[in-house]
Amino acid sequence: MIARRRNWLILGAAVLLFVAVATWRLALLPGPLAFAGGTQVDLTDYRGPSPAGVPAELANADPIAKGQYLTQAADCAACHTAKGGKPFAGGRPFKLPFGTIYTPNITPDRETGIGAWTDAEFLRAVHKGIGRGGERLYPAFPYASYTLLTDDDVLAIRRYLSTISPVRQANKPLGFSFPFNQRWLMTFWSAFFNPGHRFRPVQERSAQWNRGAYLVEAAEHCGECHTPRTIMQAMNTRQKFAGGQAEGWNAYNISSDRLSGIGAWSAQDLAQYLAKGHAPGHGVASGPMGEAVELSTSKLTPSDIAAMVTYLQSVPAVHTKASPRMAGPAPTLASAGPTNNPVGKRIFEGACASCHAWNGRGAITAEQQLTGNRAVNDATAANVAMMILNGIGSPEHQGAFMPSFRASYSDAEIAAAANYVTARFGAKPSRVTAEDVRKMRAQ
Amino acid sequence: MISIQVNGEQRDVEIDGDTPLLWVLRDVLAMTGTKFGCGIAQCGACTVHIDGVPTRSCRLPVSQVGDRAVTTIEGVGATSAGRRIQKAWLDLEVIQCGYCQSGQIMAASALLATNPSPDDADIDAAMSGNICRCGTYVRIREGIKQAARHG
Repeated sequence: MIARRRNWLILGAAVLLFVAVATWRLALLPGPLAFAGGTQVDLTDYRGPSPAGVPAELANADPIAKGQYLTQAADCAACHTAKGGKPFAGGRPFKLPFGTIYTPNITPDRETGIGAWTDAEFLRAVHKGIGRGGERLYPAFPYASYTLLTDDDVLAIRRYLSTISPVRQANKPLGFSFPFNQRWLMTFWSAFFNPGHRFRPVQERSAQWNRGAYLVEAAEHCGECHTPRTIMQAMNTRQKFAGGQAEGWNAYNISSDRLSGIGAWSAQDLAQYLAKGHAPGHGVASGPMGEAVELSTSKLTPSDIAAMVTYLQSVPAVHTKASPRMAGPAPTLASAGPTNNPVGKRIFEGACASCHAWNGRGAITAEQQLTGNRAVNDATAANVAMMILNGIGSPEHQGAFMPSFRASYSDAEIAAAANYVTARFGAKPSRVTAEDVRKMRAQ
Repeated sequence: MISIQVNGEQRDVEIDGDTPLLWVLRDVLAMTGTKFGCGIAQCGACTVHIDGVPTRSCRLPVSQVGDRAVTTIEGVGATSAGRRIQKAWLDLEVIQCGYCQSGQIMAASALLATNPSPDDADIDAAMSGNICRCGTYVRIREGIKQAARHG
């Protein structure tokens, strides 16, 4: 009897311990710069040039130009602009597992935008995720990152936003289902997962590293897509930058792991990718990252790009199974590729080979290279299929261009083409189905 | 100033480096044998050879040609494969309206130069990106095979 009771006690203690550890691990996540060690200090106590604000190149610019630069660095336009809509007028849908959420109008229109907001209300929204009427905002708005922005920088953004033309466009209602439509629940989310403090530089690191940290963590909010999320939808900083999702696209591992992440990229490649959206042999920034480059990182000064690169390269390596070692060169002979996918081959030879070439090295320009490209070596082929559906750029515009094949091919054909591409050029063949493509079309 | 080698001749052009090679050929060098079709590398009408490789000139910025040799429909007859393809095209009257045929001949002669006796699958793999709205595909395939026989 006594032995049995002791066993129950041990089991109970083990269960309690497990729950406690699980809760602790879910609820208490390392801060964004915890990996760096050293002493994090308040900005006012930091010895060295401030990592916040605009870079030295813009030191003498007028306040509106500074605000515009910071607005671009925080990439407000990407989410607050609907496809084909007026900049900053909102209305862009984000389809999440809980329903659809639409970004609000942040033009200075007094009734439908933020023209009537006070500076304090704007600061509270950006730092704490609390709307004008005290309602809680969802962390689809990356306030868990923006909370690190200094008051001065948030208000500089506000000043710039007040100079753009007001657009009268009412916000769309939230499309979340119960219980996710209960905004007050975000009070708890924020209490645990919004760091809720301004950027704290690391005293032992260089000024350039701290500037890069400020840009990557606070303004550019890279981790919002590139860090996996916990079941509580918080950025899992224990797997910092190990890869996540964004609107049907995979946001790849950008930790310094050589196989899974960007550890094998040179600083020059990273800088070129952020500035131009392409680095030789690494593919083209497309989907949400294409937008981030076009609207944000391409607008940064060379010194800020260099700072971001310095910081990114310091993030510890996290190996992820989804991002294996990439395949080597592909065969030049058409017949040497996969033979079990005749539909995929037919599409590739008619629509793809003239630009990408049978060996995948690109037939016309370097942007067209498929080999060594993370998306092509991703066995989910999500980004390959999304790229076939959506294309990139426009033929009149310089830079990378690929037409959208959304209207040209059926779901089954696009799935076959994506599977052919990963089988011929990637580490592992994908198994995309017509049903997967149907869902991707709706993204 | 950008210098490119076209059909064995060095040509200097005063033009923005982002201009596609096709525009330079047609509008600056007045070599209008190469045609504009879709402008997005999907039809093949603008095909030229860059160092012997069939390439869509509508998407190739002229600054990226470098010192590689450009061969166009005006110059391809000087090569063995090009000469045989052009003869087969005339013998079999491959051409109907002709708009795509500069590109077809360029793609076919590049194929023949690298593969002296292509089978149907080789021809499909090399020629599928060249679209012909008159549907001359059957004669194109026959033309390539005849040119191969006379190699």
